[in-house]
Amino acid sequence: MTPLTVTDAAKALREGTTTSVALTEAAIGAADARDPEIGTYLARFDEYALERAAQADAELARGEDRGPLHGIPFGVKDILAMAEGPTTAQSLILDRTWGAGKDAPVVSRMKAAGAVITGKTTTMEFACGMPDASKPFPVPRNPWNPETWPGGSSSGTGSGVAAGMFLAGLGTDTGGSIRIPAAFCGVSGLMPTFGRVPKSGCVPLGYSLDHIGPLARSARDCAAVLEILAGLHESDPDCVDAPFTAPEFTGDLSGMRIGVVREHHFPDGSDPALAPSFDAALAVLAEQGATLVETELPYWHEMITADMITMGCEALAYHRTDLLSRWPDYFVATRAMMATGALYSGADYVQAQRVRRVAQDALAGLFETVDVIACPTASAGAPKVEDLAGPDGQPDVGALFSLVHTPYWDSVGNPVLAVPMGFTGDGLPLSLSLAGPAFGEAAILRAGDALQQSTDWHLRVPQPVAEGVA
Amino acid sequence: MTEVVKTLLAAAQLPASEAEIAAYVKGYESQRAAVDALYDVEAARYVDPALRFRAGARIIPWASAPAR
Repeated sequence: MTPLTVTDAAKALREGTTTSVALTEAAIGAADARDPEIGTYLARFDEYALERAAQADAELARGEDRGPLHGIPFGVKDILAMAEGPTTAQSLILDRTWGAGKDAPVVSRMKAAGAVITGKTTTMEFACGMPDASKPFPVPRNPWNPETWPGGSSSGTGSGVAAGMFLAGLGTDTGGSIRIPAAFCGVSGLMPTFGRVPKSGCVPLGYSLDHIGPLARSARDCAAVLEILAGLHESDPDCVDAPFTAPEFTGDLSGMRIGVVREHHFPDGSDPALAPSFDAALAVLAEQGATLVETELPYWHEMITADMITMGCEALAYHRTDLLSRWPDYFVATRAMMATGALYSGADYVQAQRVRRVAQDALAGLFETVDVIACPTASAGAPKVEDLAGPDGQPDVGALFSLVHTPYWDSVGNPVLAVPMGFTGDGLPLSLSLAGPAFGEAAILRAGDALQQSTDWHLRVPQPVAEGVA
Repeated sequence: MTEVVKTLLAAAQLPASEAEIAAYVKGYESQRAAVDALYDVEAARYVDPALRFRAGARIIPWASAPAR
């Protein structure tokens, strides 16, 4: 039995009950077994990973310990530059020389921490939109049910953690792209505070919205990765000097006030298991000592609109030249999202940034009364891949986001941890979001860990089980 | 609304197909109303946007910046 979490694997490596090579071989075995079906990888680095794993084993044997990610199989979303292979952004458009031979700062930091990067994972094209089977890339599928979507855009990182192809990995989040696959794949995903992690070396989608963060099985694992990722890098003008140190994970939430948000999160079409799963998760948090208070999020609709305007305009600025000359080469859903940028005025964009400031301030006021906000990440389990398009064959993003509640948090920039909280009647994962004040990752990770100390939703493994690292 | 959307797309020179334009038009009215609602946020009346320009800022290539 191989360890399920980074934390357990790190312990096993140091106790000598496993090796990095064994973990990596198991990860490769899992990929051999399931990747053709679920489309986790765009590029696999098996040989490189085994070399790095052997190096990690040798270093650990010599007492050279680089920390909890040392020797751990790790996936990287293929929108982040990594020297070992080209970055595609799962697109025909991106110049394959972009970032060639170089590591994004976050990749560089993971390598320095000894992570064994097993490959580049699938994404929605340029981290937005939906799958397009007409393009020469895998259509990502959910390991819990391959007829369903794993979520996006960090699809492969989510499905790979769930299916045991690596123990943790990197995603990016501009409208929900870490938290949606975390929710649909039944794993944990952390969108850090905007600016806490440098985003240079990442193909941009929305300059003022993009966040890079981890997906892993547990909150504790996400904390271990954030410790490595966080910190100033001069190349990102948005990056701030705010390194992160994981809190003590005691499971005791005494004194923590958790604001419970139900408004907007239980629309028509919500899964019948959502409310009981949400209430059960809240009950666990209360049992651990937290005080629950019902609350509402300020400027909910405005922040969803602000995310839409900001992403559309910022993405169109980056892509317009290519859109004019290579429109058919873009995925249908990608170009649809980017075209919205042409439907707003410059004043609309600036007004969105003014209202973002107002909402940030109002939310900061709310966080003077609560430490953490809890709400469902999505109101249902993963949709079927075939249902992602509307009756006219065009991508139906509106239908998806009527049940997914993530974009608000990208607009305000606060950190959010998505953790598993149960299953639908069809056996698809449901997810709880725990949001904190700016730079308040410690509190949400403590809350997520407390939930995971009393439940095992995050340790459930989709069947069929491959002989992987899960 | 169809003509508005067509005009805006044409101004941006985006070569969307008729089917795509029809899909964009379907969502445009509610989308426009949501955008217009941002101008009704009274608290934003005298607020600076979340945009900042820094004189003297330099572009630092990410792959050659000092590793940290």
